Amino acid sequence: MERKGARRFQVLDLLQEEGGAAAGTAARVGAQTGVPDADVYGVSTFYSLLRKPGRRTRVCQGLTCKLAGSDARVAALRATGEEVEEVSCLGQCDRAPVGLDADHEALLWGEPGSISPADTDLPMNLAGDDDFSFSALARARELGPNAVIAELKAGGLQGRGGAGFPAHFKWNAVRTQPPGDSYVVVNADEGEPGTFKDREVMLRRPGLMLEGAAIAAYVAGAAVLFIYVRGEFKDCIRSLEGAITAAADHLDWLDIRIVEGHGAYICGEETALLEAIEGRRGMPRLKPPYPTESGLWGKSTLMNNVETLACVPSIVTRGGDWFAAQGKTEPGSKLYCVSGHVGRPGVYELPLGVTLDELVEAAGGYVGTPQAFSPGGASSGFLPMSFRDTPLDFGGLVKAGSMFGSSGLVVLNDTIDMAMAARHGLVFFEDESCGQCTPCRVGCVVQRQSLDRYLETGDASHLEHAEDVAWEMDEGSICGLGMVASWPLTTAMKHFPAAFEDRTIDE
Amino acid sequence: MSDTIRLVVDGEEVEVPTGSTLLAATARAGADVPTLCHDPRLDPMGSCRMCLVEVEGQRRLQPACAYPAMEGQVVHTSTDRVERHRQVLLSMYCADHTLDADGLPAERALGNQLRAHVEAFGTGPTLPPIGTPRAGREDPNPYIHFDPDSCIACARCVRYCDEVEAVSAITLAMRGSSTTIATADQVGLLDSSCELCGGCIDTCPTGAMSEKRALGLLGADEETVRSTCNFCGVGCQLDLHVRDGEVVRVSSPPPGTTVNDGNLCVKGRFATEFINHPDRLTVPLIRGDDGELHEATWDEAIRVTAAGLMGVKERYGADALGFVSSSRCTGEENYLVQKLSRAAFGTNNCHQCAAT
Repeated sequence: MERKGARRFQVLDLLQEEGGAAAGTAARVGAQTGVPDADVYGVSTFYSLLRKPGRRTRVCQGLTCKLAGSDARVAALRATGEEVEEVSCLGQCDRAPVGLDADHEALLWGEPGSISPADTDLPMNLAGDDDFSFSALARARELGPNAVIAELKAGGLQGRGGAGFPAHFKWNAVRTQPPGDSYVVVNADEGEPGTFKDREVMLRRPGLMLEGAAIAAYVAGAAVLFIYVRGEFKDCIRSLEGAITAAADHLDWLDIRIVEGHGAYICGEETALLEAIEGRRGMPRLKPPYPTESGLWGKSTLMNNVETLACVPSIVTRGGDWFAAQGKTEPGSKLYCVSGHVGRPGVYELPLGVTLDELVEAAGGYVGTPQAFSPGGASSGFLPMSFRDTPLDFGGLVKAGSMFGSSGLVVLNDTIDMAMAARHGLVFFEDESCGQCTPCRVGCVVQRQSLDRYLETGDASHLEHAEDVAWEMDEGSICGLGMVASWPLTTAMKHFPAAFEDRTIDE
Repeated sequence: MSDTIRLVVDGEEVEVPTGSTLLAATARAGADVPTLCHDPRLDPMGSCRMCLVEVEGQRRLQPACAYPAMEGQVVHTSTDRVERHRQVLLSMYCADHTLDADGLPAERALGNQLRAHVEAFGTGPTLPPIGTPRAGREDPNPYIHFDPDSCIACARCVRYCDEVEAVSAITLAMRGSSTTIATADQVGLLDSSCELCGGCIDTCPTGAMSEKRALGLLGADEETVRSTCNFCGVGCQLDLHVRDGEVVRVSSPPPGTTVNDGNLCVKGRFATEFINHPDRLTVPLIRGDDGELHEATWDEAIRVTAAGLMGVKERYGADALGFVSSSRCTGEENYLVQKLSRAAFGTNNCHQCAAT
């Protein structure tokens, strides 16, 4: 039970100021906030940017960074005597390989990623400029909340964070809650390996996202807007702060608070994100209740992804029907992230439902002979090239036994051992499992260890229980992370069985 | 809103109070839904996943301990899907737990619920042990032992310490498969805010938290004697666990059955060494003219005491006397002491040592 007057929401910021979970930190932060010392310690050991104090360089161990030579970077840095930690995907796959310096600023060693050329007929148009006129917000006020929700419905806007849940349902659910305090939260904790679209929105069009969020706050009747930004995205935070200043005249009615993440992929899960804002370990809550009903501090909370909100201004100004018509198989345009074996990795705004070939054509074509692709980040597993004509949309990929997720596409050519590719996904989820529920906490380790034993011995019998374990992780886990954490392995085994047969290991 | 709702559990219609969970409803129907992280004194966490059941209309299995029972719901607790889920889940638990020679979760302390579930429901595939290191701590406290390898990270101890005791000496720490139970900076319990009530031992479903002095002993080999704690007047009920004529541990009767609702304090749970201590007084002693203490009967002792007190009163007056009762006395005993003081000896000089 919370002590009266405890300022728990300050815990994470204070821990960051202290430099992480060093001896004595928990007691000092506990004394300042009124949160029990042990509780503070539990929080500090949960987040990867806090749990190990001291300064060091972090290098991404994601699949695309590995392909781009991150191992050599690690070796070179260590040769200079620098302390290096290999960490989960840093969300810069288009610029691989990448790292983070001791101050958590990005180290971009690869070529800059590409974006779609400027076109004012694109709903988000990342190459365009923010004008900070906030005319869409003014238009929303003219229309009124119900008409805005109606336009979202006509626009068929699906949540761009990964679930594809119709946005108007959430907006309407908050609208129909009893009056009282409510919050709007922007989920800017982008962390799915292969995904970096929200990063580009925040860097290039922070005003657009901010306007979408302000419209959400207006519709929800919220006076406070939280933007939870991944802690590894310092440049995005600066960009958002600049936009908040530039838009100050239009937003004097809204209390906007940027909350910085501290290194936990799981906080992209909406209820874990709420726990993090409140100053707790980022462990997902049980649902029901859903955040629209009982979210931040138990209040009705509307949470949307960065890209989802960036779609809102154009829907309000140009109409839901216009937005819907921008799609191919499903409504609207979509920011596709492409990395791996393609000519120009980057973020491309294309009609929702393009095929892989159409997307890769925009991204400079395949490099080598493509073998497989991840359609929606590590969680979506792998598909073989026989699915190259499948529309890359929410419905089509579910039918293909995969998912669109956050539309982080990673293309792998035939130089890649699919068992090794699967291993990268398993390592990621093992590192990022929150440890709350047993299927995920134990299952992630079981799967990775089984694959390691296979890769060490070449004996395929080590993988005999992979399907059973994956089934239980899907059935039994609390949240989506555990449900899909086996997919890199099980989809690779399904579509690339030759890569998982008995093999001879060179000594 | 109606006071009760009706739903169907395994084909049987049951009626439960509005606001009940599915666990209450399945219990009403007599269904055996296993739990690990559930303790009726605590808010549900739903993390152990043992109690997942099928709810018609819900795509996913739902935790009975936390899921609200609703009018007209149709619930299934033993379908093939639920059975398979339990078995593979128990396989995973076994891969992350100390096992005995038979491959079962090792029996510990007053019982290991995990072992009981494996025996009742069976397991799926035999998975190799994951061997993930989980931090414990050097802890010189005299009473409470934590074995990280027997811990299932259900956080019952953490939630008990917070929600029931409001002490929060322990926490879930680290994450993923390294998740463990820790104090701030992993200091020993004596250096933490812990009050050594031992409630963590009481609520632990696997025996990962256990009595230090009974380490390695199994409750199954002990005789249990129900008693009343004599450290204060609350009247907490104790179950004394006796082995070879000695109390080796103390537990509370289950929550909801006695006045202490499953709780004990450090004295009731741990301060039992006096029982068999050689210095313990077991009969009245009277100091004789030789200056030595001699065994006596209660009648003799009371007579000598009364004569001495009356003698003081006669020589110096009643107010030369004062009566101080022990904090271990009950309210009724304290009443009798003041009665003795005022009515028998005629002085208001009476005090109870816990009354300050």
